[in-house]
Amino acid sequence: MNRAVTHRGLLRRHLGRLLLALTPLLPQALLAHHAFALEFDVNSPLDLTGTVSKVELINPHSWIHIDVKDAEGKVVTWMIEGGSPNALVRRGVTKQSIPLGSALHVIGYQARDKSPKGVGRTITFADGRELFFDGRVPGAGE
Amino acid sequence: MAKVTAVGLLVGLLALPVLAAPRQDFPRTADGHPDFSGVWQSLNTAHWNLEPHAAADGGVPQLGAQFAVAPGQGVVVGGRIPYLPEALAQREANFRNRLSEDPEGKCYLGGVPRSTYMPYPFQIVQGDGTIAILYQYATGLRRLTLGGSDEAPLDSWMGWSNTRWEGETLVVEVSGFNGQTWLDRAGNYASAAARVTERYTPLSPDHLQYEATIEDPAVFSEPWTIRMPLYRLVDDGYRLLEFKCEPFAEEKLYGHLRKPAE
Amino acid sequence: MTTTRCLPLLPLAVCLALAGCSEAGQPRTSWGEPALAGVYSEFTLAPVERPVELGTREFFTPEEAMAYQQRVLEAADQDDETVAGTPEDVHYDMGTFSLSANEGKFSENLRTSIITFPANGRMPPLTEEAVARQQARAALRTGHEFDGPEFRSLSERCIVWTSTLAPILPGGYNSNLQIFQSPGLVVIQGEMGDPRVIPTDGKPLPGNLLPQWNGTSAGRWEGETLVVETAGFHPAAAWRNASEHMKVTEWLTRVDADTLEYRFRVEDPHTWAEPWGGTYPLTDLGGILFEYACTEGNYGMANILSGQRALERAATEAAATEAAP
Repeated sequence: MNRAVTHRGLLRRHLGRLLLALTPLLPQALLAHHAFALEFDVNSPLDLTGTVSKVELINPHSWIHIDVKDAEGKVVTWMIEGGSPNALVRRGVTKQSIPLGSALHVIGYQARDKSPKGVGRTITFADGRELFFDGRVPGAGE
Repeated sequence: MAKVTAVGLLVGLLALPVLAAPRQDFPRTADGHPDFSGVWQSLNTAHWNLEPHAAADGGVPQLGAQFAVAPGQGVVVGGRIPYLPEALAQREANFRNRLSEDPEGKCYLGGVPRSTYMPYPFQIVQGDGTIAILYQYATGLRRLTLGGSDEAPLDSWMGWSNTRWEGETLVVEVSGFNGQTWLDRAGNYASAAARVTERYTPLSPDHLQYEATIEDPAVFSEPWTIRMPLYRLVDDGYRLLEFKCEPFAEEKLYGHLRKPAE
Repeated sequence: MTTTRCLPLLPLAVCLALAGCSEAGQPRTSWGEPALAGVYSEFTLAPVERPVELGTREFFTPEEAMAYQQRVLEAADQDDETVAGTPEDVHYDMGTFSLSANEGKFSENLRTSIITFPANGRMPPLTEEAVARQQARAALRTGHEFDGPEFRSLSERCIVWTSTLAPILPGGYNSNLQIFQSPGLVVIQGEMGDPRVIPTDGKPLPGNLLPQWNGTSAGRWEGETLVVETAGFHPAAAWRNASEHMKVTEWLTRVDADTLEYRFRVEDPHTWAEPWGGTYPLTDLGGILFEYACTEGNYGMANILSGQRALERAATEAAATEAAP
């Protein structure tokens, strides 16, 4: 389901639990590039399946464009926001990693201005495969 | 023996136009290559238009002669850029829309080769195994790995550079462009399929010869080359200053989303 | 560096505890300077500020460090779900993009904090002048946070990432930098930042510095260590509320083939009553930095502003509907 992390959430959940009241990550980590909750509407959840028509692995945030058919069969292209691709590059991801036409499943939230844009809380291939990586932090739990 | 000598002479003669003789008066690195470290700048009107062009209106009446296009003999070897017919129509459309669409006005990175002849200095930092080029405009930076030969993992604005020496010339093969840069303010452009080969060669202690060959079968009927000198900035204590133009482009980019005045 | 080796920390920790850390047989550039060039991770398993209850204690025991390290990594990898329908859930999955805990590229660290002075390992309090400045800035923004791009943060505007200005402190992700080096020059570029040009000819900083977002730097060699002075910051950079009078001194020394020691000192009497500073290791990233073209891809700024305009229009329409007979 909804795994992984926002740094703001981290601080709230873990300050009380750590043996030492440590800032688990660094104060800078609390500052996201921008507040996603201002760009996307927490009250407009999305659950979309569509085929990839464009892949922008770019900074400051990646955008994956998927063509989604609505109930009447009309196709709407959605732009789905993800993360910086810089770490992906270091782990061997290339622009061929998401082939055009791949079927993706996106769970997330829609843009506040109601345009066909969203942030992907989870993005997976429609057949269940991970999009890039499974999100485990190397070394945790060893 | 005579045959070998004749072959050797032929090879030597063929090589002469390609390999410049090492200059005694140009700085060198420990391994004997020219050392291009320093601050350089082009001195021409290529940033307005790579092709030969007469003086012309800049299209911004409020700036009048300040923003007018100065004349230039052009830097394209052979004079004209060999566009495919349908691609030329795109260039003309770019030109008509240049005031709103030129990425330079948005403070977007200039790409290659445009960043070389924008009217701002750049600094070459030639180290052991890695060369960085820092462009004053929009604090652009390119990493050139000596001896690299791989393909770009992702597209980028400044491209992916693989570098080798051919005698005195530093050859840089650049690809992996995102197709969003222009080549000048006149709307000349190339696509994401473009491959650019740059050549930097010492001309004098304070001059380089810069050539860039652009190959893009989606846009041009054949590869074409630009050529120009680059001039070393020799001012005492010269420092590359920071030109972060992002704040100056905000009104252009986001003004239409501003809260309306009440 | 991976997470499971702790014992080899000891020599590093001892090294970091001493001033002027150096080793015989340091690598040299082809022109004879200490070789600093490379690509490094800034991320380290010590917090910037020391927890208050640790007082003046500078080092964990290796066992405590291991335990703290595990908690940091588990926090980053936490099993808790963000709850659907809460603001925390409105975010992409960091793990999908391999951005958690700086993609696992971090230095182990026995220190209880990056900050080593003042003695409590925490930033000194702000001066009254700094608080007043901070409040004045906030007052200008209050009620106007979404009026236009100039009211958004410097990182949202793609102007600077404060994690890449001097002094360099690790941030949330892409906490990596590259050092380029040529005769008489060092360049430091944060993965998400601008290149900092540092002449290493030993000449002092010029007077009358033009304000620059990254300041202006001057460097000199002291044995194995590069010493960098930076000043002339743009007043709007306001790094951790600093004024344009902030001066930063940094020391970079190679510790071993994979590691540099980074030390820094910050002074700004207009902001903090005393200077402060610290140290942490920079470790070989084992990868390249990719282009960070920020403003070029900044859909987010347009989305935030247009989202706010949509909210305002909806509020106006709702009010008009209510008012209509």
